[in-house]
Amino acid sequence: MGRRRRRVDRGAAVGALPEAIAALSRTLPAGPSPEIFRRAKFDRPEAAPALWQLLFRVLSPPSADSASASPAQEAQVRAVKSELRSQGYPRRALAQLPEDGSQGSRELLLALAWLLARGPLLERLLAQTRVRLGDEIPLCECEALARPGPPVPRVEADGPVDIRHLQWLMGKLRFQWRKLITSQQEQCALLGKIHSYTRGCHSDRSLGHLSVAETELLRDAEGGQQLLRRLESENVRLEAALRWRRQELVFWRWMDTVLGTCPPEASQPTFVPRIPEQGAGEWELVARELQALQEELRGAAEPRRAAWEARVGGWGPEWSAVQRASREAVGLELAALQRAWERGGAAARPHGPCRLVKSDAGASGGPGLRAAQVIEVLRSREACLEAVLCQLQRQCRQELARLAGALPGLIWILPPGR
Amino acid sequence: MLPADCSRRLVAELRDALDACAERQRQLERSLRVSRRLLRTWEPAETPAPQPTPAPETSGEAPSPESTPSSQDLKELELLTQALEKAVRVRKGISKTGERHKALSLKSGSAATSATTASAPSRPSGQASCGVSETKPPRGIQQTVVPARGLPESRLLSVGDRTCMGRGSRATKPGPGPRDQQIPPSAALQAPEAFTLKEKGILLRLPMAYRKAASRNSRLWAQLSSAQTSDSMDAAATAKTQFLQKMQMTSGGPGSGLSAAAVEAEVGLLRTACLLLRRRMEEVLSADPADCMQEYRCLLTLEGLQAITEQCLHRLQELRAAVVGQQLGPWPVGRRPGASLPCGGGTDPLWSPQLLLYSSTQELQTLEALRLRLAMLDQQIHLEKVLMSDLLPLVGTQGPHWLARCRAVHSLLCEGGERFLTVLRDEPAD
Repeated sequence: MGRRRRRVDRGAAVGALPEAIAALSRTLPAGPSPEIFRRAKFDRPEAAPALWQLLFRVLSPPSADSASASPAQEAQVRAVKSELRSQGYPRRALAQLPEDGSQGSRELLLALAWLLARGPLLERLLAQTRVRLGDEIPLCECEALARPGPPVPRVEADGPVDIRHLQWLMGKLRFQWRKLITSQQEQCALLGKIHSYTRGCHSDRSLGHLSVAETELLRDAEGGQQLLRRLESENVRLEAALRWRRQELVFWRWMDTVLGTCPPEASQPTFVPRIPEQGAGEWELVARELQALQEELRGAAEPRRAAWEARVGGWGPEWSAVQRASREAVGLELAALQRAWERGGAAARPHGPCRLVKSDAGASGGPGLRAAQVIEVLRSREACLEAVLCQLQRQCRQELARLAGALPGLIWILPPGR
Repeated sequence: MLPADCSRRLVAELRDALDACAERQRQLERSLRVSRRLLRTWEPAETPAPQPTPAPETSGEAPSPESTPSSQDLKELELLTQALEKAVRVRKGISKTGERHKALSLKSGSAATSATTASAPSRPSGQASCGVSETKPPRGIQQTVVPARGLPESRLLSVGDRTCMGRGSRATKPGPGPRDQQIPPSAALQAPEAFTLKEKGILLRLPMAYRKAASRNSRLWAQLSSAQTSDSMDAAATAKTQFLQKMQMTSGGPGSGLSAAAVEAEVGLLRTACLLLRRRMEEVLSADPADCMQEYRCLLTLEGLQAITEQCLHRLQELRAAVVGQQLGPWPVGRRPGASLPCGGGTDPLWSPQLLLYSSTQELQTLEALRLRLAMLDQQIHLEKVLMSDLLPLVGTQGPHWLARCRAVHSLLCEGGERFLTVLRDEPAD
């Protein structure tokens, strides 16, 4: 099967390239026409604006698209340059392109190819704008964190505030959270009702009931038509993505030729090293935490080692085998621990959004996570975070006690415990 | 009073936290609105047609639907939908200007007010619905839609209709799809009861077009996620790496391969590492070793943790050197500082959601409550760290109102702002 495909590729190489590019542009959001790609190879200026827009669309964070109208050309150009830079784009020619967006189509084409080559760009873009048909619940907060919230016009606090203002804000925050939790509970109750009332209505047996989006589709014909249209256009893009997958080899060969037509860049000129300020803050924080941890570990381990050596000094060889076994066991445990963060721990924890399905059976067969399991995982994480918070508060208490102890003649009565 | 820069920072942080909370609340309110609307009585103009289903109606009012909706039916459905929308618009327009019975008289012409007998309003509607042609429906719809608003009228209608129509007439009406059911007699019988999800939800069926599109969608996503190994894929992968290498080489020399984004990601990972290491350390320190061997294991674990921590520190220094030594460009903007990404985001992500099965509303509520609690704890920890770094130094410096400040700081930092301690002056009694 593969052999046949290769033969077809070689034979139809001439026709395959436009097809591949067409598939690519269909998959991309705001994809330019294949003609633009062809012109970009020859660095024609008329192809540049479309490619700038495409790159801007591809590189900007997901929430930004829907929020406001796209910014001016210069702002787009600057944003694209900056984002590519921070992702490590190797060619300097990009940074030297003029900001009015009138030139550089070949360089932009190379940049697009670079982004495509580095990771699953198309899949990621499709997932960002995925039509959500079910009631989804995100299991981890990474999406919420990665997406910046809408910019809120901030009224600057003029001048210094009293600490009571801070207390008031904290109280307000606590109240907001409580309100949020009650609203959330109500939403869950409503969802449960909707799911049970529409039991057996779904054509897909594994789902069994309708989701809010689907029920809404039935209630509101107009909205339903819109949903259907979005779904169908997403299907078109998905099919284009699959076609692209099959044909992309031709594209890469073509990109090699494009790269070949570029003049080679000069070797790196001298530069002034600078430390980006934002990154430095995070780095400092982590460095401090790691150093503190190291100190604590040393303080805990050294005396134990000394005590152990003192005890075990005279023991015979029969202990050495046991000791070796212990060493191996501990080694394995620690290696597993290391894997937990090196691999991002993605496999260890449920990740990404899940579609809620109400099912009485709870059958142990069947795909999908069980709520009970997820609840356990979340509970253990909750315990963890509570421990961290308690520890921080304990630290504060000790520090304050130390400072307050400097003043004699006062009795500090702590509030009653929880 | 707090110093100006400190105030600004802390107020900004707290406001950020409040904004994040408010954003969640907004999204939740949106979903609540939709869900509440679904559970209420559905507006008659928007009532769906129970799609052809074998489930019989208990009252036997509705006819068994003719057949699965064909494309012809869908087209007519579309036309009918438009007519309904027009009806709603007209109805809204009219109801705005006059009272209800005035509207009734306007529309039904011969129909008297609600006090009149049943037959009067129903006859015109019956006429309109029986043997209806395409041009008639708007008027007929108006007739039947209005009565459904109030109970007295609707009861009148149902009585009238039953006398007026027989079952046979349904067969003669032109074929618009199941949607039409509620307008003509049978649906007029239903309309008084208005559609609620609770009672009639089970009868709902998704339209065929949607079903096809949705199943195609999930099939395509599955293909996209799974299409990993094939000859062309491997060849493409090699072509891609070669292309990247060439790009690197033409840029005038090998770079370090590190980008600002990659450095940031690694720093985040090291932060997670620190958390995990600390957690394990606390586990070990709090455990009581029962015997020699456990003591030994504790010791080994602590020393192993120490070694790993040193490795992490070393890696951190390497990253620092890379940042300083290379012109890495601006730090990626738009990411919230101080947010850890424990999921490492991106190792084999699932592009389409998997299922999460829950068995009862309580379970779902517990799940969601836990999720929110985790987000809240995350936020609290972040705020605690920020407040600590800014407020503790202030307590160190004596000044006016030192006691009050101390007490306030204690409550903010140690009790989350919920409780206050009491300070007594210990006067010697003499």
